[in-house]
Amino acid sequence: MYKLATEKLPELLQCWSQGATVYVPQKVGEVTLFRPFKGQGDLALGEGNTLEPPKDLFFPRTEKLYDYWASGKEARLEPVELHPDRAVLVGVRSCDARSFLLLDQVFLTRGYVDEFYKKRRENTAVVALACTQAAPTCFCTSFGIDPGRAEGVDVQMWPVPGGYLLEALTPRGEEMLKQASGLLAPAEGEKIPAPAQPSLQVELEGLVEKLQKMFDHPYWGELSRKCLGCAICTYLCPTCHCFDIDCETIETSGYRFRCWDTCLFAHYTLMAGGRNPRPTRKERLRNRLLHKLQYFVERYGQFACVGCGRCLELCPVNVDITKVIRDVKEVSL
Amino acid sequence: MSLQDKMRERARELLESGAVNMVIGWEKGTFWYLSPPAFITTPEEADRLVWDEFCLNNLSKYLLDYRNTDDKIALFVKGCDSRNVVRLLQDNQFPRERLYLLGIKCPGLKDSRAASLLGEEKRAELPLAPKCVGCTHPEPVIYDELLEAGVSGDLGSPEKRFEDVEKIEAMSYDERYAFWVNAYARCIRCYACRNVCPACDCRECIFDRTQTGWCGKQMGLTQNMFFAITRALHVAGRCTECGECERVCPQRLPIMTLNRKIIKELNALFGPYEAGVSLEAKPPVVEYRPDDPDFEERR
Repeated sequence: MYKLATEKLPELLQCWSQGATVYVPQKVGEVTLFRPFKGQGDLALGEGNTLEPPKDLFFPRTEKLYDYWASGKEARLEPVELHPDRAVLVGVRSCDARSFLLLDQVFLTRGYVDEFYKKRRENTAVVALACTQAAPTCFCTSFGIDPGRAEGVDVQMWPVPGGYLLEALTPRGEEMLKQASGLLAPAEGEKIPAPAQPSLQVELEGLVEKLQKMFDHPYWGELSRKCLGCAICTYLCPTCHCFDIDCETIETSGYRFRCWDTCLFAHYTLMAGGRNPRPTRKERLRNRLLHKLQYFVERYGQFACVGCGRCLELCPVNVDITKVIRDVKEVSL
Repeated sequence: MSLQDKMRERARELLESGAVNMVIGWEKGTFWYLSPPAFITTPEEADRLVWDEFCLNNLSKYLLDYRNTDDKIALFVKGCDSRNVVRLLQDNQFPRERLYLLGIKCPGLKDSRAASLLGEEKRAELPLAPKCVGCTHPEPVIYDELLEAGVSGDLGSPEKRFEDVEKIEAMSYDERYAFWVNAYARCIRCYACRNVCPACDCRECIFDRTQTGWCGKQMGLTQNMFFAITRALHVAGRCTECGECERVCPQRLPIMTLNRKIIKELNALFGPYEAGVSLEAKPPVVEYRPDDPDFEERR
């Protein structure tokens, strides 16, 4: 365990920037986002989540898959080089760290390995930052997440008076602390601060079993009346991972790409013939919630919600997943 | 009787008498600073309705969800919301006879984002919601009955609405370009601004026609800017300045500044006009008049 003085934080980020891009929460306009550290900028490592989750580091909003060229009877495909750059992601909260493990399930297991995701994941070191204060919208502990200690990360940081405590959790993390040894002091007698205690809680016992019987329940119709069908909840969700594949062609050449998509949009399920199996917001909102709380559990044994509270904080009409969980337990079948 | 009690009473009566089969109002949300939309279909549920300083959602948008049904709907409208009802009626988006309007004299609402940061103990000191600053019509312009609300607060001078526009007009072309690029590089195209907007009443939006090639689905500055400009121009002359687009934007982009620039230009080109204030006055861009102020100039 080591200690870093607050004023040495920029130097630490500079140090880790050698041969890698460091992404760290920064104030951008009125919001906080993970942005590349360039020696300046308004670092925002205080309490609270970034507006956008850091998932786009592994699963970019748009990613080119290959280039193509076609003319007459000739055609050519050119694969793109897999993302080779190293990155260090600093200041990841326990909820977002859990989301990486859930995304790993989707992109790396069950017989298909997504090389684009895998390469970025391997090339990125993750430095977590413990939460000591919960926002009213936080409910990570309900999913067995410890806000004071993240899973699957290389280095864990804790905020303490005058600086941060750092502990390496993987060989890569040890290497990173060694690299920065000139800035760190042994943390003698320092106490790890108590983790945040979110007051918002949800009870998950029996939820999946209940949802399995609720696909046709009128509850979804009632709930979806106020839904606007926008993509705030999905695009700002750390675990939502749906994408579309499309191409951009100019005359004889172009490229194929994938980009984020959302089940809240009508064209997500629109078929070529014009039929849409999820014709209204009822089916679409239901799908999003069942994917988080039922389908993902059935496939991977875990909930696809990490309790980060972003959807709860930002939904323009207060579609509240914690209330949905409570409602579901109460509605009669 | 408080306004909230009156709202509940009237909702109950309208449902009991069968005058309407749905009342759209607001109810208490997860936190003290949230009052999201509520859809009341039975008299017993009428007590869910609330009126407080966070009833920010413009409920007129929801009429579009029921335009092809037989539902008779009672809708609570503040001044800004009522102007959108006028616009929807003018566009033949909803028949007046299926609509019962309960008007509320709006005292000006509070900023729920600021509330979430300041905490409930500061409830009395909350700033006005940004969308209410400089409001020109706190009183509904159309209604079937008018329910009073609290004392009207100081909403600021209407000229305040154009302060941000003037700041940008004072910039050089390059500065302006940098300002908008900087903002819209962050747009995530969640389309919340479009989906919440009652002026966006197209049956199918150009941005949902993804196979046409007009705007690709990739997330990029080009697509974001195309969306921003197209959306703003599509609501030209129809924006009532209800401010919902900017309120819901998760990236807090200055969407109203774009809308107000267009309003300012329309006023200069076609004479003073406020969308949705009168059922008779035609929006400037849907009408041709030889006496338009810029007619001679263009000839």
